[in-house]
Amino acid sequence: MGIPYTWQEGLIILAVASILLIIVILISMYKKLDIGGEFVYAIIKGGGQLFIIALFLTLLFNTEFWYILIWILIGTMILVGGYTSAKRATHMPKAYQVTTPAILSGAALSLIVLAVSRAMPLEPQFIVPLSGMAFGNSMAICSLTMERLIREINLNKSAIETMLSLGASSKQSLEPFQRLTIRAALIPTIDRLKTLGIIFIPGAMAGLLIAGTDPILAAEYQIIVYLMIVGGGIVTALITTGLSRKKLFTDYEQLENWIYEL
Amino acid sequence: MEHVGKTLQNTKILDDLSLTVEPGEILTLVGPSGSGKTTLLRCVNRLIDPDNGTIRYNDRDIKELPVVSLRKQIVLVPQDSFMLPGTVHDNIAYGQNIHGCYDENIIKQSIIDAGLTESFLDKNAEKLSGGEKKRVSLARALAIHPKILLLDEPTNGIDPKVLLNVEENIIQFVRKRDLTVLWVTHNIDQAKRVSNRIANLKDGTILNVQTTHEFEWDGAY
Repeated sequence: MGIPYTWQEGLIILAVASILLIIVILISMYKKLDIGGEFVYAIIKGGGQLFIIALFLTLLFNTEFWYILIWILIGTMILVGGYTSAKRATHMPKAYQVTTPAILSGAALSLIVLAVSRAMPLEPQFIVPLSGMAFGNSMAICSLTMERLIREINLNKSAIETMLSLGASSKQSLEPFQRLTIRAALIPTIDRLKTLGIIFIPGAMAGLLIAGTDPILAAEYQIIVYLMIVGGGIVTALITTGLSRKKLFTDYEQLENWIYEL
Repeated sequence: MEHVGKTLQNTKILDDLSLTVEPGEILTLVGPSGSGKTTLLRCVNRLIDPDNGTIRYNDRDIKELPVVSLRKQIVLVPQDSFMLPGTVHDNIAYGQNIHGCYDENIIKQSIIDAGLTESFLDKNAEKLSGGEKKRVSLARALAIHPKILLLDEPTNGIDPKVLLNVEENIIQFVRKRDLTVLWVTHNIDQAKRVSNRIANLKDGTILNVQTTHEFEWDGAY
């Protein structure tokens, strides 16, 4: 089982698939959606990255020093994830100090549980894709949390200042908005969990099915993976809102200056 | 306040401002929009800090006091009367719960002092009229027994028919509780009605401070 053609033949299929993309870009230009350029950039960047990682994985699967490369890969995931999420909080100074540890803790927790429960044997073909899923999901949740939290704070400056004026601490005045933010950031994850298998076949299961695994086993594995990743995501959201407090408030229970400039 | 200065978004809002408020007095701050009245109040209860100068309370720099205890003694009632989600009771009890001094009798007394009846306590705070919200935010401040009240346009947006009534309520509870008040208003007539002294603020600094009797309105702040 597996993909029924060689990579050279695949290039032709890739060209065919690109026709669809060209149509989409033409439509977006016609409709003046102003996303054509960004779309092409995203595709080229994303495609390029995938090919580079493919080359990297080929090396990884064929060397006895794979564990060194895995650490390099995970380190890159942490840094790139932290940086990408931090960009969602453009006005927050040094936002990566919030996003990087939040993504790291959430993803690391899921991966450790997966490893301890033997769902992730310590072999590169398991560690690489599962790390990708764990860090990718944590990063997505971290970005959503950052974006939403800053929006909530900006919209609710009066509420927060009212609470602070009455003597509330930054922690107390932030709490209601932390709750709202975490709930909102987890909505896509919960919706995806609810529609698993109906709207889309998730990554791990799709991969296992293509590789010829029994569908029941593939589904069971997917659920295990998904639960771990959801758990990690919740941890990421909690840590993101928790660490953000230091960036949102001064040590004297005041909103930071940059918030007034939003 | 001594030589207080504050710049926000590259604009000088307060400029070498000095002012003394005597215990037990109502001092109104009048001045055109953007003259720094609200910013000054926000500096006094440390929602923001001045860039330079000192603010003293009972001869101590307010920066030496723990900020939470400072805000229990010097309470700001902001202009927009934001209601926290929940009932009027929840709003008035908020500060008490924060400071660990919940007292049902004080809550009832505070709402009465602010000019509303006890029957308001169970109402949804967010659905009150503008004037009622103003009174609830006054009651919310009174419930934590402050020593100084910072009132930012406390009658702004209130129906002119009840405006005098709210003023009267404030004056009454200030006397009864022996409070010191720094009251921001753009209404000169109101300043004359309610205060002991009037400070005239322009371009972030105090032009003059006059007693209500000697205050003369020259039409240009």
